[in-house]
Amino acid sequence: MFRYVLRNMWRRKARTFLTVFGIVVGIFALTVLGALSARLNQQVKGAEAWFTSKISVVPSGSSLFGGSEGYLELSKVDEIEAVPGVKSAVAGFGLTLGEESIGFGAPELIVGAELEKAGDLLSLIELNRGRLLQMGDERKAVLGSTLAEKFEAGPGDTVELRGKDFEVVGVYEPTLSAPDGFAFVSYEDALNLFREANPYFEVRDIAATIDVIPQPGVDMEELAARIAESVPGVKVISPAEAEKQISQFSLIFNAILLGIGFIALVVGGLSIVNTMIMSVSERTQEIGLKKAIGAETGSVLGEYLLESAMIGFFGGLVGMLLGLLAVALLNRATASSNVAVFTVTATVVVGPVVFATLLGTAAGIFPALRAARLKPIEALKED
Amino acid sequence: MIVASGLRKIYRVGSMEIKAVDGLDIFIEAGEFLSIVGPSGSGKTTLLHLLGLLDAPTSGSISIDGMDTAALSPKQLTRLRREKIGFVFQEFNLLPVLNARENVELPLRYLKVPAEERRRRALRALEMVSLTDRADNRPGQLSGGEQQRVAIARALVTEPVLVLADEPTGELDTYNTCKVIELMRDLNRDTGQTFAIVTHDPMVADYTRRIVSLRDGRIASDSAGPEAALECDAGAGDIR
Ligand SMILES: Nc1ncnc2c1ncn2[C@@H]1O[C@H](COP(=O)(O)OP(=O)(O)OP(=O)(O)O)[C@@H](O)[C@H]1O
Ligand SMILES: [Mg+2]
Repeated sequence: MFRYVLRNMWRRKARTFLTVFGIVVGIFALTVLGALSARLNQQVKGAEAWFTSKISVVPSGSSLFGGSEGYLELSKVDEIEAVPGVKSAVAGFGLTLGEESIGFGAPELIVGAELEKAGDLLSLIELNRGRLLQMGDERKAVLGSTLAEKFEAGPGDTVELRGKDFEVVGVYEPTLSAPDGFAFVSYEDALNLFREANPYFEVRDIAATIDVIPQPGVDMEELAARIAESVPGVKVISPAEAEKQISQFSLIFNAILLGIGFIALVVGGLSIVNTMIMSVSERTQEIGLKKAIGAETGSVLGEYLLESAMIGFFGGLVGMLLGLLAVALLNRATASSNVAVFTVTATVVVGPVVFATLLGTAAGIFPALRAARLKPIEALKED
Repeated sequence: MIVASGLRKIYRVGSMEIKAVDGLDIFIEAGEFLSIVGPSGSGKTTLLHLLGLLDAPTSGSISIDGMDTAALSPKQLTRLRREKIGFVFQEFNLLPVLNARENVELPLRYLKVPAEERRRRALRALEMVSLTDRADNRPGQLSGGEQQRVAIARALVTEPVLVLADEPTGELDTYNTCKVIELMRDLNRDTGQTFAIVTHDPMVADYTRRIVSLRDGRIASDSAGPEAALECDAGAGDIR
């Protein structure tokens, strides 16, 4: 049966090829975008863990991701700490690692935190080796996993951050998200680096974000509302808010993916329908002959469904493989800057092929039914 | 075995009515060896399709072994055709993507015969029409006469009780026509299979035991055939 169907497909090589090619293009796009989305979802998941276990206070007008349009006065830290239920408020400072900002994904950041109070915050991520930053650390850094890999540095090594030497004291476990690209330093070190880069900036003590660690047992959402109420001029991002922003971000992406999938569905599906209708009509006599010599309706139906499912399957397989190839090449091209843009998961590999096969089968239903319902003698007489 | 009475098949093309078969009664007993002759358009093919349960009559009835076929569902008709009837069609007979052996195997496939046995029986059927050496060729690589013989092998491979052949020798030379008729006659004699052969060729009709002659969709005459003796001579001249 398989061989027979293959031979029938081979009979109209050009047409079969073009139809399969149509599916290949759609599935290729779907695979590449799927890998992109898988990577983003992975980052988003990791980011969620980081952002949703604390309350972030940022300058009013900025969001979780677009952090640097303004700065907070350091006096806000005391105001926040005065709010009941707050265990500690930690001033933080983030600046990009390199002068250039990297296009895709989470940027590599130097994150400064007030070490006197940042213990809880810095231990949100598991340490892989070395130690956490401690009070009084100067020109010391704990690196996120990706960054450690990039610098090929471990505890005891020296790395250069914005032209200044820092001693690495610890390396975090991978979180597969933004903090992997962070170099954690003390607040003062970060501020100094910032001042050096912006010599004309008014010299005063500022923070980009203030991270709030709640007292045990305090409801984070209620606390966030309380802070927003009692501290003017700030924007409070509660865990729920953070989750919303993050999921909105991934929602847009998944919507794009869905859109591409839908286009692939319509274009690919219609071209399969078209091809199958042509196959059925040019083989009307053959169908008649088969039914005349005893083929069951179901066997004719199955044969044509198999043909269209195979068009879908081949298109899906080739499209997916090409997609994986493209993803591998693109990932290699960006490997030097240590940003993996794509992640290949089981869903990315299996999903598009299953999707294309189902699409092919569904597209074949109508033509196959038409073939199966032909009356033997009328079909046989047609030319 | 087959009793057809008051058989009518009327085609409507626009406002025109074509009476392809026009009130025909025929009785065919098991084990007969008969030919159906008549001018072009007299309804031979139509009658054969009706008798083979491929087409439903406009009116009239066909019963096989005492069973009225009008009461059967399409599925039951398919099954009956598959199990009891072998067809050679006048025009389109073979699937172009299958080679000769696979074409012959096809009805066995529908009968769910296991692959090994299928292959063996198909090769034996091809041997009967002297085409063993062309088993692997596709129809496009065979001559018209060879294709026709493959079609005959396919009709015979299931050992059906009834073989309906529409111009099975139309493309064959005298020698091969003779061989095919000889084969059918031997099978008829040895296994009791019933043969109904539509033909234009008086020589073929002369080899049969009964000749049914059609005209305008009716039986013009129905008489015993001479059942001439067969002597197939490979060297015989082929001018007729
Ligand atoms: N599907 C159809 N629609 C309309 N008319 C048809 C159809 N099939 C056959 N006919 C007509 O029915 C008549 C009988 O046709 P049939 O094919 O049975 O003739 P035949 O005796 O087999 O002729 P031949 O020897 O040329 O094969 C012819 O006049 C033909 O034109
Ligand atoms: Mg005819």
